[in-house]
Amino acid sequence: MNNPYIPIQMRIERVTVENDARDLKTFDLAFVNESDRENFKFIPGQFAFLSIPGVGEAPFGIASAPHEPVIKFTVKRVGVFTTALHEMEAGAGLGMRGPWGNSYPFEIMPGRDVVIVSGGFSFTTLRATIAHLLLPENRRNLGKITAIYGARSPGELLYKDEIRQWEQNPDLHLVLCVDRLNGGDWPQKEGLVPNVLREVGPKADNAVALVCGPPIMIKYTHPVLKELGFKPDQVYLSLENRMKCGIGKCGHCNIGPKYVCKDGPVFSYAQLLNLPAEY
Amino acid sequence: MKNRIISRDELAQLIDRLVERVDVYAPVREKNGANWGKVGSANEIYLEAVNTHEPAKGFLFPRCEMILKFDQSGNAVEPGLPQEQVVFGIRPCDARALMVLERFFTSEGKTDPYVQARLEKMTIIGVACNRTAPACFCLALGNSPHSSEGMDVLLTDLGDVFLAEPRSEKGEKLIAGLAEAEVKHLERRTELKERVESEITGRIDTTRLKENLPKMFDDPVWERLSLPCINCGACTFLCPTCHCFDVTDETVRGNSARYRVWDSCQFALYSRHASGHNPRFNPAFRYRNRVMDKFYYTTEQMGLISCVGCGRCITVCPAGIDIRQTVATLLSFIDSTER
Repeated sequence: MNNPYIPIQMRIERVTVENDARDLKTFDLAFVNESDRENFKFIPGQFAFLSIPGVGEAPFGIASAPHEPVIKFTVKRVGVFTTALHEMEAGAGLGMRGPWGNSYPFEIMPGRDVVIVSGGFSFTTLRATIAHLLLPENRRNLGKITAIYGARSPGELLYKDEIRQWEQNPDLHLVLCVDRLNGGDWPQKEGLVPNVLREVGPKADNAVALVCGPPIMIKYTHPVLKELGFKPDQVYLSLENRMKCGIGKCGHCNIGPKYVCKDGPVFSYAQLLNLPAEY
Repeated sequence: MKNRIISRDELAQLIDRLVERVDVYAPVREKNGANWGKVGSANEIYLEAVNTHEPAKGFLFPRCEMILKFDQSGNAVEPGLPQEQVVFGIRPCDARALMVLERFFTSEGKTDPYVQARLEKMTIIGVACNRTAPACFCLALGNSPHSSEGMDVLLTDLGDVFLAEPRSEKGEKLIAGLAEAEVKHLERRTELKERVESEITGRIDTTRLKENLPKMFDDPVWERLSLPCINCGACTFLCPTCHCFDVTDETVRGNSARYRVWDSCQFALYSRHASGHNPRFNPAFRYRNRVMDKFYYTTEQMGLISCVGCGRCITVCPAGIDIRQTVATLLSFIDSTER
């Protein structure tokens, strides 16, 4: 029986503390069984449940791209499950279920510009997306790639080493910003993501915008994208809702008749306009 | 498939034979009516109540169910397969509800392996309603107190004997060998059906809901409709088609297992994110979700209204909320906006 509730076995290869507050850690996971590795096919934007025996499970966006050797998750410590996960070290085993959900709309990107807007630790699946789009075989089919990524303060930005490399990469226009500076050296922008987006002003003609961030950022990003000329069917958002099963059965994550786990997590803004604002 | 006739004695013998072989669940007498119980003999079955206090959904989707256990090295192992079971005496509304659940769990996207396994091991013998309760409104949902939808066999009490109508191969086998029904039996059944249907006074008009409900998300009417609601969730737990569940781990003496338990969209925690953000923070949003789910969302998802008109949410609500009244109010709002 192909049982979607049974997690596959993973092993933690590496744990990286991502931020100054030390409540964000990235877990690099390796497959324990070779057959699981072969069967686990995913596209950036999808998510999976991590499982700890006796503690429970919770869903997280996959932060690594399919071509990378490990499966990466960046997790903020907020509750019982994530606290238990944060106490785990390299070498420990844990379960994983997935991949679930749809993905970012890679099929419509060739020949177009891609604008990525992200705030806070939701950068995870967009990090996977950027890594995926920068592969030469993908990059050569795309126009300009602009990524705006903001965090509260410089120390809260994820994947700092990689971001440093991306800043030098001519294939990507990366704009970093922080909500506020409390002194310190910061050569990048200060300001909220929607304001920085307006200032950068990426062209809407023939572009696709991918947005992921906290509900408040999403709320204020929409009007700016509209100002810039983006139509609702050019804007894609990755949503999160509380969920328990990941396969559209437990009911929790619904937005009207749609389930975030099965019909999302990525929705076009055009789709969301016809749904209640239950996200 | 041939309709047959079964006497009371023959029926009792049939049940007693089943009990020796498999688990048989049927309505049994309870303080204020009837509820489901595992029976050891036909004598324990009580069909005098119009319906059981609880719906039959637990036979497909138990209130609490182990979905996996962990071995000593932390590997997840599937729990054992379910036993064969016979559900006897289910009413047409509840049998239709099982069909709704079957559809939801096994044909919409991924198949739920536990519901699937239970379905394969289940025989459903229904009994038509010759009486109704004040909250019954199955007719309004296109169902009937004599419907056989979702059953293997439908029994109708004709007074001296039962008419037995097989609706599946399994059901046909079960009643093979009994005397064939005659025209007079079928005529009697039609008579009873017409009489009981005329007794159902609860009516709701569902024809205009599908096109109008999608426009009513932000209507202030929800505030008014949900005002008496205390968010106890009783309507959802007793609803025969509510399928929401929570997943939780439990460890007893070092042995851990993962369970799913019924949950309710009427609870604030149900939709609250880890960050504290809650898309349905307002009780009115939660009440809207339940009504919209029954009358609109499932029509989008599965092409059917998932209320079966059993009336349990009406009788159990401590605040006196009546879903028939809710629908009527919504319709009156649609009319007033259209005017």
